[in-house]
Amino acid sequence: MTAVLPEPALGMGDRRHWVVVIEQAAALAKRSIILTWRTPGAWVPGMILPLMLAAVYSAQFGSAVHLPEFPPVDSFLQFILPASVLQGIAFGAGNAGTDLAIDIENGFFERLIASPVARQSVLIGRIMGGAVFSGLEALVLIGVFLIFGATVSSGIAGALAIAFIAALLSIAIGGFGVAVALRTGSSEATQAMFPLTFVFIFVSSAFFPTELMRGWYQSVAEANPFTFIVDPIRRLVISGWSWTDVGQAIGLTLAVAVVSMSWSYRMYLRRLDVK
Amino acid sequence: MTHKPVEAYGLERRFGDLRAVDGIDLVVEQGEIFGFLGPNGAGKSTTVRMLVTLLKPTGGTARVAGYDVMKDPNMVRRSIGVALQDAAIDPLMTGNELLKLQAILHGLGSKDATGRSGELLERVGLTGAGDRRIGQYSGGMRRRLDLALALIHRPSVLFLDEPTTGLDPTSRQSMWEEVRALNKEGTTVFLTTQYLEEADQLAGRIAIIDGGKIVRQGDPAVLKDEVGDPTLRIEIGDEIMLDTAKAVLSTFGERRPARHGRLAIGLSGGATRLADVVRSLDAQGVPVAHIELDTPSLDDVFSDATGRRLEGDGDEDDELDEGSVEEL
Repeated sequence: MTAVLPEPALGMGDRRHWVVVIEQAAALAKRSIILTWRTPGAWVPGMILPLMLAAVYSAQFGSAVHLPEFPPVDSFLQFILPASVLQGIAFGAGNAGTDLAIDIENGFFERLIASPVARQSVLIGRIMGGAVFSGLEALVLIGVFLIFGATVSSGIAGALAIAFIAALLSIAIGGFGVAVALRTGSSEATQAMFPLTFVFIFVSSAFFPTELMRGWYQSVAEANPFTFIVDPIRRLVISGWSWTDVGQAIGLTLAVAVVSMSWSYRMYLRRLDVK
Repeated sequence: MTHKPVEAYGLERRFGDLRAVDGIDLVVEQGEIFGFLGPNGAGKSTTVRMLVTLLKPTGGTARVAGYDVMKDPNMVRRSIGVALQDAAIDPLMTGNELLKLQAILHGLGSKDATGRSGELLERVGLTGAGDRRIGQYSGGMRRRLDLALALIHRPSVLFLDEPTTGLDPTSRQSMWEEVRALNKEGTTVFLTTQYLEEADQLAGRIAIIDGGKIVRQGDPAVLKDEVGDPTLRIEIGDEIMLDTAKAVLSTFGERRPARHGRLAIGLSGGATRLADVVRSLDAQGVPVAHIELDTPSLDDVFSDATGRRLEGDGDEDDELDEGSVEEL
């Protein structure tokens, strides 16, 4: 019976479904990148804060590198390069969730799902936009560190790998934000969960080697998944290219991303279904 | 086979114990502008949201553009254009960017998207503003962009939710022109509005919803006729002829309250009898200083159906009439 009904004059025509899904996700990713770029308040602080912390820490702990338990590095700046990059990414990763919550609050999300857009494009586009932006941010941050004399032993390949891991990390963290946004539909609730990411970063080996920590702090930092991501990245910066390190960082980040994205996908279906 | 643009039977939506939409039947015919009226909270937007697949009905059936909203929501979405009231338009994006995005969301390729965006910007008179950020648009420009967004895929059925709320009279007029033009080109329009004048101006048929139920449905002119006879008011030039005038008028319909110095009746048979009234008055030598025929408005239809007024600015004459009933 539906076969006799006229098709709308304009639409996907006979183009393949997956091509359309990718185009739609890309268009939505582009939108979220444009919106982030045009809201400097949302990302400039996230770039500047880690750089400032790096400057302060280098000045404060610069001579810590001579301690016997400290890993062999050129400089403290080189030691905290990975932490600073990931911190910058973590700062911006919350935007995917907050922006989505704002879309829900002001009705754009509704406009979106009232259109025949492929349902998966909405989620993919949102997350990919954040990931691409984060990858570029990571490259810029690494560039700044290079200007100030830090070196990346694994070279360009290492820098690109770090940018890729950064993008993946923004998906992993962003997925939680997106899930909360879909669950609550409130930008305030979504923003409120991001200080948590900072606790995660600070209670890890990001800014100081766990070998030099003591007591409970050391135990927590050693068990923190973030330590397992930041340590291999640091080895890429300090010691050079290693497939094992790249694999560990990517694998672990990917695992978290799968968890957070599955959760956000469930929340997404739930939000579509309440309708 | 033919299908109707909108066809709903026993459509129902409950939120817990509340029946927001309580089993309504709605049929919109091909090529018409259908006005959907009701006060806030009457079930108006709940109904629209079900028809445009944003909300699942808890009972009944609805077909839009020939497709079942429950079984085939994606085909419904591909066939209809939706401009929801206050649906966000990113202030940081340009009109052009948003149109292209909308085109791609409807499955157009990027080349078609660019062409179609340009066409629509021109159509709604925003060509010059296409590359400006929407944050700088006026309210009227945003609504026109919103309309363009809804038209991107040349939908056969267009849902407009309060398209002129908050607009100045000039912008409202130009929006009406645009809706009429679209309708002339064959687009069926489902118009939600709280402005009775808007429904009167545009809609060929209306439905009024109140308390989740359709309380009136049909041609506005017929609905107005059903409310009762139009009120004929005359003012006579010479007080001495008052009794004669009363006698003449009483043969045309029953007396209604009127301001001092005037007479009013419900003119049975309506406007077609007006010439007879004037002739009879003239034959009896009654000098007429003023004559007016006041047909029931949609607000009267609404108040007849619900016992309440939809618009706050009630007819001043009516209020005066009621105040002076004892003078008769």
